[in-house]
Amino acid sequence: MLRASLKSLLSRKLRLTLAIVAIVLGVSFLSGAFVLSDSLTARFEKLLRSINQNVAVQVMPTEDAADDDPRPLLTQQQVDALAQVPGVAAAQGDITALGVVPFDVRDGKPVTTQGAPQIGGGATGDDPFALVSLADGRWPTAETDVTISRYTAEQAHAAVGDRLKVYLPEVNEAREFTVAGIVVYEGDRDSLAGETLILFQEAFAQRTFYGAEGRFSGAYLSAEPGVTQEELRDRVASLAPAGFEAKTGEQANEDAANEVQEGLSAVTTYFFGPFAIVALLVGIFLIFNTFNILVAQRAQELALFRAMGASWRQVTSSVLVEAVLVGVVGSTLGLLAGIGLGMAGSSALTAFIGAQLPGAGIQVGATPIILAYVVGVLVTVIAAFVPAIRASAVPPLAAMRDIARPDKPLLVLSIVGAALAVPGAALTGAALTGIGGLTLPALLIGVLLFFLGVTLLSPLLTRPLAGLIGRAVGWGTSGKLGVRNALRNPRRTAVTAAALMIGVTLVSTASVLAASFNKTIDETINSTIGAEIVIQTNSTQGPPDGTIGFSSEAVDEVRALPGVDQAVPFYLTVDGRVDDGAPPFGGMFAVDDMAVARDMFAMKAVDGDLGTLGPTEVVTDENTAKSRGWKVGDTFPIELSKGGEQQYTLVGIYEATPIWTDSMILPRAAVSNFKGPLAIQAYVSLDDGADAAAVKTEVERVMSDFPLVTVGDRSSLIDQFTSFTDIALGIISVLLGVAIVIALLGILNTLLLSIYERTRELGMLRAVGLSRGGVTRMVGTESVVMAVFGCVLGIVMGVALGVAIAAALIDRDFLTTIAIPWLSLIIFVLIAVVAGVLAALWPAWRAARLNVLAAIAYE
Amino acid sequence: MRAESVAPTAYGVGVTTTTTDVAARAADLWKVYGSGEAQVIALRGVSVDLERGRFTAIMGPSGSGKSTLMHCLAGLDTVTRGQVFIGETQVTGLGDAGLTRLRRDKVGFIFQQFNLLPTLTAQENILLPLSIAGRKADPDWYKTVIETVNLSDRLGHRPSQLSGGQQQRVACARALVARPEVIFADEPTGNLDSRSGAEVLAFLRNSVREHGQTIVMVTHDPNAASYADRVIFLGDGQVVDEMTEPTAEAVLDKLKGLDVGSAGA
Repeated sequence: MLRASLKSLLSRKLRLTLAIVAIVLGVSFLSGAFVLSDSLTARFEKLLRSINQNVAVQVMPTEDAADDDPRPLLTQQQVDALAQVPGVAAAQGDITALGVVPFDVRDGKPVTTQGAPQIGGGATGDDPFALVSLADGRWPTAETDVTISRYTAEQAHAAVGDRLKVYLPEVNEAREFTVAGIVVYEGDRDSLAGETLILFQEAFAQRTFYGAEGRFSGAYLSAEPGVTQEELRDRVASLAPAGFEAKTGEQANEDAANEVQEGLSAVTTYFFGPFAIVALLVGIFLIFNTFNILVAQRAQELALFRAMGASWRQVTSSVLVEAVLVGVVGSTLGLLAGIGLGMAGSSALTAFIGAQLPGAGIQVGATPIILAYVVGVLVTVIAAFVPAIRASAVPPLAAMRDIARPDKPLLVLSIVGAALAVPGAALTGAALTGIGGLTLPALLIGVLLFFLGVTLLSPLLTRPLAGLIGRAVGWGTSGKLGVRNALRNPRRTAVTAAALMIGVTLVSTASVLAASFNKTIDETINSTIGAEIVIQTNSTQGPPDGTIGFSSEAVDEVRALPGVDQAVPFYLTVDGRVDDGAPPFGGMFAVDDMAVARDMFAMKAVDGDLGTLGPTEVVTDENTAKSRGWKVGDTFPIELSKGGEQQYTLVGIYEATPIWTDSMILPRAAVSNFKGPLAIQAYVSLDDGADAAAVKTEVERVMSDFPLVTVGDRSSLIDQFTSFTDIALGIISVLLGVAIVIALLGILNTLLLSIYERTRELGMLRAVGLSRGGVTRMVGTESVVMAVFGCVLGIVMGVALGVAIAAALIDRDFLTTIAIPWLSLIIFVLIAVVAGVLAALWPAWRAARLNVLAAIAYE
Repeated sequence: MRAESVAPTAYGVGVTTTTTDVAARAADLWKVYGSGEAQVIALRGVSVDLERGRFTAIMGPSGSGKSTLMHCLAGLDTVTRGQVFIGETQVTGLGDAGLTRLRRDKVGFIFQQFNLLPTLTAQENILLPLSIAGRKADPDWYKTVIETVNLSDRLGHRPSQLSGGQQQRVACARALVARPEVIFADEPTGNLDSRSGAEVLAFLRNSVREHGQTIVMVTHDPNAASYADRVIFLGDGQVVDEMTEPTAEAVLDKLKGLDVGSAGA
């Protein structure tokens, strides 16, 4: 039996190829994600090793203490004491700060890195750990000296002797320095990983970064020969002050590498995960359809097995064995493709970062291999299960006669479909309106049930809906024949179309939400923000907690500019606890004067008063007040980054809008307890008749010292908000592309198999005068009807889902309006038409080249 | 001499003035399959004239080349040497587009397996060739055909709802309704019981007698051949004999002789 089914598999390998492609795509995304993150981690690990190659032990703040205020520091005496420990060859105090940004000497613009850190350090002379060495000039000796890495020099177009402007965090201002020297890393490398490095005079760096001389953020120790890292760690451990811990260099590397790996695998999983899921989900339909058709075509062969005494179990398992083999082949190819994907991703990322991360080969761990086979085989077997059962139901009698097995009626299938779709829709609705405290899991289950239900109902919809589509696209006799062919086997057409439906549903939902969001933002910003100039901070460089942005002095300078009416800066923190719970999701803001902010944002009080806030007064939006059960006059504790817990009184509640929901506004005084003192945004209104462009230029000049800050107008604010949705839509469009490619293969597959089945008919049609072009049009029409049918189903479901979610978001004031992106939806249909035509090319060519005589003479 | 001169006058035998015209002609037709050791010669210089408005049967034992001859005459198969004409048109040498035009305008088919489209109703199947060619049916002629094949009350049915005999009558109507120069029928009664077969054959003969249709039928059934005006006997790829006004017994005798002859050769 096994041998027989293997032989039969081999003879039909071409037809199974398309089913395998779906597995290959899905598995390659899955394993690619792992290979990429493992390989990148290996490269970072190598980088860390080269940084820490001479470090035996490091004394650094513990993870818990690192964010304490005041931050834990080592004194010069403590570092000296560490150096005295027997077995320590050399000790060096660490002086490092991040966010030290050089400005380009040529154009004055801040130098940016693609995510790599911008490091500042203190240096007195030659580095005992030999990480960097002078390539030109000297070490910084005066307070106005800097010595920079060669990569920094290249990026800032600076040479020894040039004046270089550098933004200093902690003091939050930019100052000018003279470039005293250039350093390179070991092996004459410009940078380790595309970072910038600026070294200051030691005392100056300590004063600037730590507020006093003789302070260090940690210490590195090297060991004398014969002393192991562990021995040295144990010896110095007792000398580490409170908040510090001693770690071996190995351990430190490992911890850092693990952190990198966590971050990377999160990124690669989020990036590749959806692709893998969509590919495999769509693949299930493709494989299901392929096996179903193959079983139908092999009915006689299977019946012969049955007639010869094979049990239904043997017949079923013969089909499942095929499925396992297809899964194994698909997984193997997918794994190989995934390794290729990981390699490509690794080198693409290196090119993007623009740095020479050390190479560490391609890393293929056990996880991607196991996962590839488990997922690939499981998906194939699940998809082939129903066809396998159906195979066993072939009566032995079918071997003797050419029994026409009419399609089973769709009634049962449709009832099951409705039984899933209706409660699914109800659950989705209930979850979205928040009935009974239903949340995300309920929503997902509801959507899944609805999806499955509609999929099962789709054969019932084939005749009416695809028939309607057929009326639109079925021109001429050959077109009409193609439409009839598409309607002929509703299950087959529906399953083929369902593959496309999944992708289109996803993109339609996203498009509706994105369009609604963009329209909401546009309307809200234009109707509620009375500011002409908007100052913003690129917050991708760190959490908004007052350490990035611009100073209040700069805001004062802006206020003083001629033509400026009001300037409202917003200070933001996402740290802290409110009323013993998490802070509002939208963050806690602080403003100079609530009354001015209220007027500029046309905020309306729902309760209480939105006037100038006292030092312990807060206001919040109606949604937050409702969800937390606060009333005006309530008092609750708020704990910020520093300063401990403090009681605040709620004095006003404002109307929620999409830009003011799940938020809270604190008085200006609270900013001193934020991690940093910087404002993250400011809105500037102008005097009547002021020259907006001229004022904007002046504001830009004031803000030019703050590296992450940009100055724009209302439309650039809208752009900033909508850029997120644009990126999300871009990613989802690529997803659609993947889904379409697989769905296209599905249509191709169905067409090829149908043509094979209809050989005689095609011969007859040719014999009664249908031209080759006519055959091509017939097959093309069938293909387009299937594609558009799937697309329309997807659009209907996607829009329904999108509107439901949007309605729920309106209820929570995240949106104000629902927008249906008609143009995009029409484009989807056009894409489906093109996809249908493309899928039909090869099958139509084959059908048209059919030998008429062979087709009709065949008995 | 085109269809309009063969108007359905419905009376007399061979009513048209063009009975002696040739509707299809094969001249020194050779058909060779394969090469070397495996070479099979299916036709060895066959020349036949098939007169317009007559019902011609091609008979012969299996392997005699009768199906190959019909396929070559109908332009379904290529020939190795020789020429085929349908009416004035030389079939041999036509490309796919020319053959398609020929099938639309001049040739009709009736198959052993009926070959109806399951997705179409009887009426749609009958009108399919005209629809493919982008032509409208002549309503009077269509009515005549439907009445003759006695399908008026079955027109909305799909093939799966019709009996074999009914399906074959649909196939006959499909071939007739376009009024082609020649209808080629390949074992049209091969899949029918004798009663349905007799109906179909009578109907084919009537369409020749009453409407001047030209029909060429390949069969191995002497009884079926007895409905024809003329029988051409093929043996070993050559025309070995022919008979006009055949009876089943005469055909059977002739065939027996051929079988013996070919067995002895």
